[in-house]
Amino acid sequence: MSQINRLNTGARTDSTSRINFTYNGKQMQGVVGDTLASALLANGVNVVGRSFKYSRPRGIVGHGAEEPNAIMQIGSGAATVPNLKATQVELYEGLESASVNGWPNVNFDLMSITGWFGRMMPPGFYYKTFMYPAKLWMTYEHFIRKAAGLGSAPVQDDPDSYDKLNQHCDVLVVGAGPAGLVAAREAARAGARVIIADEQSEFGGSLLASINSIDGQVATSWVDELVAELESFSNVQTLPRSTAFGYYDHNFLGILQRRTDHLGISADSGSRQRLHRVRAKRVILATGAFERPLVFAQNDIPGVMQASSVSTYINRYGVAPGNRMILFTTNDNAYQTAIDWHRAGRAVVAVVDSRSAPSGEIVAVAQEMGIRVIAGSGVIEAQGGKRVRRALVAPLNGDGTEITGVVEKLACDLIACSGGWSPAIHLSSHTGAKPVWDETIIGFKPGQSVQKERSAGACGGTYSLAGCIAEGASAGAEAAKLAGCGDGTVHFPMPQIKEFSEQPAQALFLVPHTKATSRAPSQFVDMQLDVSASGIELAVREGFKSVEHIKRYTAMGFGTDQGKLGNINGMAILANALGQSIEQTGTTIFRPSYSPTTFGAIAGADVGALFDPERYTAVHRWHQEQGAAFEDVGQWKRPWYFPRGGESMQDAVNRECLAVRNSVGILDASTLGKIDIQGPDAAEFITRMYTNSYLKLAPGKCRYGVMLKEDGMIFDDGVCACIGDNHYLMFTTTGGAAGVLAWLELWQQTEWPDLQVYFTSVTDHWTTATITGPNARKVLAKVCDDIELANDAFQFMDWRDGTVAGVAARVFRISFTGELTYEINVPAHYGRHVWEALIAAGEEFDITPYGTESMHVLRAEKGFIIVGQDTDGSMTPADMNMDWVVGKNKTFSFIGKRSLQRSDSVRKNRKQLVGLKTVNGTQVLPEGAQVVFDPEQKIPMSMQGHVTSSYFSSNLGHSIALAVVKGGHGLLGKTVYCPLADGRTIAAEIVSSVFYDPKGERQNVE
Amino acid sequence: MSNNIKQETPLQYFHKLSSHANSQRAELFNGEVEFALVVKEAPISTFLSLRGNGADNAFCAAVAEVLGVPVPTEPGTYHSSKEASIYWLGPDEWMLFSSMDASSLEARLRASLSGHIAIADISGGQTLINLRGDQLALEVVLKKSSVYDFGAWADASANAGRCVQSSFGKASAVVANKSDGSYDLIFRRSYADYIAQWLLHAGEEFGCRIES
Repeated sequence: MSQINRLNTGARTDSTSRINFTYNGKQMQGVVGDTLASALLANGVNVVGRSFKYSRPRGIVGHGAEEPNAIMQIGSGAATVPNLKATQVELYEGLESASVNGWPNVNFDLMSITGWFGRMMPPGFYYKTFMYPAKLWMTYEHFIRKAAGLGSAPVQDDPDSYDKLNQHCDVLVVGAGPAGLVAAREAARAGARVIIADEQSEFGGSLLASINSIDGQVATSWVDELVAELESFSNVQTLPRSTAFGYYDHNFLGILQRRTDHLGISADSGSRQRLHRVRAKRVILATGAFERPLVFAQNDIPGVMQASSVSTYINRYGVAPGNRMILFTTNDNAYQTAIDWHRAGRAVVAVVDSRSAPSGEIVAVAQEMGIRVIAGSGVIEAQGGKRVRRALVAPLNGDGTEITGVVEKLACDLIACSGGWSPAIHLSSHTGAKPVWDETIIGFKPGQSVQKERSAGACGGTYSLAGCIAEGASAGAEAAKLAGCGDGTVHFPMPQIKEFSEQPAQALFLVPHTKATSRAPSQFVDMQLDVSASGIELAVREGFKSVEHIKRYTAMGFGTDQGKLGNINGMAILANALGQSIEQTGTTIFRPSYSPTTFGAIAGADVGALFDPERYTAVHRWHQEQGAAFEDVGQWKRPWYFPRGGESMQDAVNRECLAVRNSVGILDASTLGKIDIQGPDAAEFITRMYTNSYLKLAPGKCRYGVMLKEDGMIFDDGVCACIGDNHYLMFTTTGGAAGVLAWLELWQQTEWPDLQVYFTSVTDHWTTATITGPNARKVLAKVCDDIELANDAFQFMDWRDGTVAGVAARVFRISFTGELTYEINVPAHYGRHVWEALIAAGEEFDITPYGTESMHVLRAEKGFIIVGQDTDGSMTPADMNMDWVVGKNKTFSFIGKRSLQRSDSVRKNRKQLVGLKTVNGTQVLPEGAQVVFDPEQKIPMSMQGHVTSSYFSSNLGHSIALAVVKGGHGLLGKTVYCPLADGRTIAAEIVSSVFYDPKGERQNVE
Repeated sequence: MSNNIKQETPLQYFHKLSSHANSQRAELFNGEVEFALVVKEAPISTFLSLRGNGADNAFCAAVAEVLGVPVPTEPGTYHSSKEASIYWLGPDEWMLFSSMDASSLEARLRASLSGHIAIADISGGQTLINLRGDQLALEVVLKKSSVYDFGAWADASANAGRCVQSSFGKASAVVANKSDGSYDLIFRRSYADYIAQWLLHAGEEFGCRIES
């Protein structure tokens, strides 16, 4: 197919160039500067999609973000992108495009032949048709989606990369048309940091398609000079191909920049799209306006287009999309399209003007060219199949509500329409500013600003070029001043512009037909979602009154174009049906996103390895080299177990646990939270946080403590050591570290600022190697000769400073296994050295590295709880059989103390920690299993508790479990049952939670 | 301590790793590609956390005396000399960076300070990297990494730069500008792998290499 509609002129395209692309598998050619839409029109493509509900053929209507029909699938395979608007896709060599609607294809669509499907879908069809039976919904939905089809998402991983930039500026200008460009220039001149973004491939906005002259030069050269000037400022960032899609609180805006989409898949470096997260002191919205379509019968036949779009295709892209055009207008402005079409050498059949006596300057210009003007009339119906063949034109009464004469049939293949302009108030609406109806411009204008923003130019209802430039200049100077730059004086010299003075436009939202709206051929309001005027009237007859309800009932404005074209007409038709004014009816609120935004850009670089930080200890690489399996503990990666050869996890854990009890094991405990606490009131403060007292803890000594929340429930636990006078080191659980520090700061800063105490996280500073087992002292003695290690000299719950493997170390004799244990702390850059020295020293004892799983088993054998596993935020110390840790005689209260006396805290049948020993010792209870007393009872059974920890203990030769059971402390010896999901029931005896070495003798190795 | 004691900086395992848009991520530097960004990790140094009353002139004078650098009391600033830097982190909180041995520096400070203060050695838990290179690349990488407005910083003078503790990717870092146009970043050891990978990714479009 050749480019039958290509003109040899076109301000921004190079008609001598060639770009090959495919559309629905067909090879086509376009030129440099084309969009996919302009190239398709150049190639004479009429049908670009099928409509959502009725499967009607649809053609290209607009030239930008407002386009409702030309929705394309671009690319193939992993890099395919669904639902792009052809009007916004820049052409590149090798581009593959396909319509997303229509099955089996857009030109031969089974749906429209059978035709039944659309009739099944009146407004509110979801609510009416598919309410019952509910179970069939899945069937309906599958069929509806297949039939409607809005593109397909790629099934492979996205091969592209995305990133985000956090931007800050004094003045953000959205839109680089005449108002935006001048505003940015003024703000920049005043010294403000300026960002100017525009969604098109180049700056200039409407001027890119203008044949006006500014200061005696063509508009596009004026734009080029202004853009060059902007780019010369070091304080200006220009962002073409960048859509401001959302305006959020605190002048925060999201801008999506398409960096490589226009280059195609050959661009394999850098991010494809970039999300700019902009925080601006002032925002100038210069987003322009959308031309309003005219609603008449069959106005959706391909060949019915926006008048301004027809001009844009001629002037910017050098494409005349047809041969014989009728212009249907309610205003002077659109006459330019007739003039452009005439100059392009194609036939203007007539200008149909709804006004009875159009008399503007531009009307006279058109008439002088010999263009026929049919005044006081309207196109009441388009006729044709896949392309317009003729228009039915009829005289209208003064306010355009009735047909007053004979219908004339005019042959044509293009109907260009203009119902006036609607300001693009979307971003202003995002802020919560309520749009205001303005009768003089026949449109909604931005409401009173609620953020630090103002609109300039057409988006504020100013449509003359001179007016846009003047407003832009004053908005730019003003915004800069308000951001602290310049004095607000406008310096921009106003250019000389010749503009026609315009006569008033007419408000015409629904063109009457010879039949009633409900009987006439469909008069489309929202093309993407197939909402017609009769549908809106039907919704009103069914009792809907609110514009928001009508929107949801009819789906008007729900498409990817967000009703940019149809909304105002729809609201006006609604107002008319309700017998009230548009002002009374109001408008729906536009919300982000202004246009579809890729999830890839929202995710940015935070995917894969960068999705969430992985925190490593200084010994991490050693663990990796040993083949450790890792477990996530918060953001930390901790060794879970160290399989040898082909060992299973259970085999590895069995071996590790036996090694600890029989010789010596080594654990990387660096991840435990460590908080350095200093100050004259440190002991007092710590004593208020823990349930027990630290007032008499001497330097060199450690104490285990439990922290409660105000409700008396256990929140964290750990050892706290006295380092010196007014100096303590608090250990927390790995996962609780940040929360505990925040908890301490909260109480110190808000409740007890009188207590003098400082907290510093030192978690990362220390590498902690825990050696534990009967041979632990022998291992340590080989690498440490300046600490007296004898059992009496360095006792359980003592700590000492010394030198380990040549490194200054702090050694704690505390134990989470019940064995003789030394926790050796060194600054982390020595971590691996000391670790390897301990491994070497322990070689003769077959020192065994173990992970968190064996740690869990070993502590469970001793009945030591893990906060967050055996507790769940509803457990008191007494529930955990740990009353001994609660100081009853402390002078000052401690957090949670009072709650321990609540009637619920002291009730007898609270869930209490016990041990469970399965009757069959080889059976391991699943953690989370429910405990019942009578396994024969009917479901739902009376649940008496649940298993919190459960393992096979290689040291004991049978399984062990910890559980919380109602009144459990009084039920020792009772047999309970755990009915499992797989139908088995496991019987177990309630025993002490301490399974191993109940007297705690093993840590006192002589 | 003897000389054969092996120390590892947090970015040791990233030494000579690089990223570049025009080549696959390279294990070693490729002499033929330009790296607009260079990440260089400082040798192991002393970091102390210092808490105290910044409004107390005697406190500030004593700290300045020991470190040879005045204590910054202006929010978001740091003072430095060849041997030491003091970063303002809060009205009563500073990070000290020094080439002096940690324990002797702590001892000297404790000897000269009185009242309610806290000093904690966090040397093992921190690392400092210098990020230098093309100004645009630096600007973009910082914008990718942090929500802070580094563009609002005026040019750094020799001894009084700006610093801020803010988000860095999904971790956090202290970022300080230097008089040569480069930036120093201080962050926690356990996040070093993440931040190194983050920087390689963020700097890929410009070419980025790490020297440790």
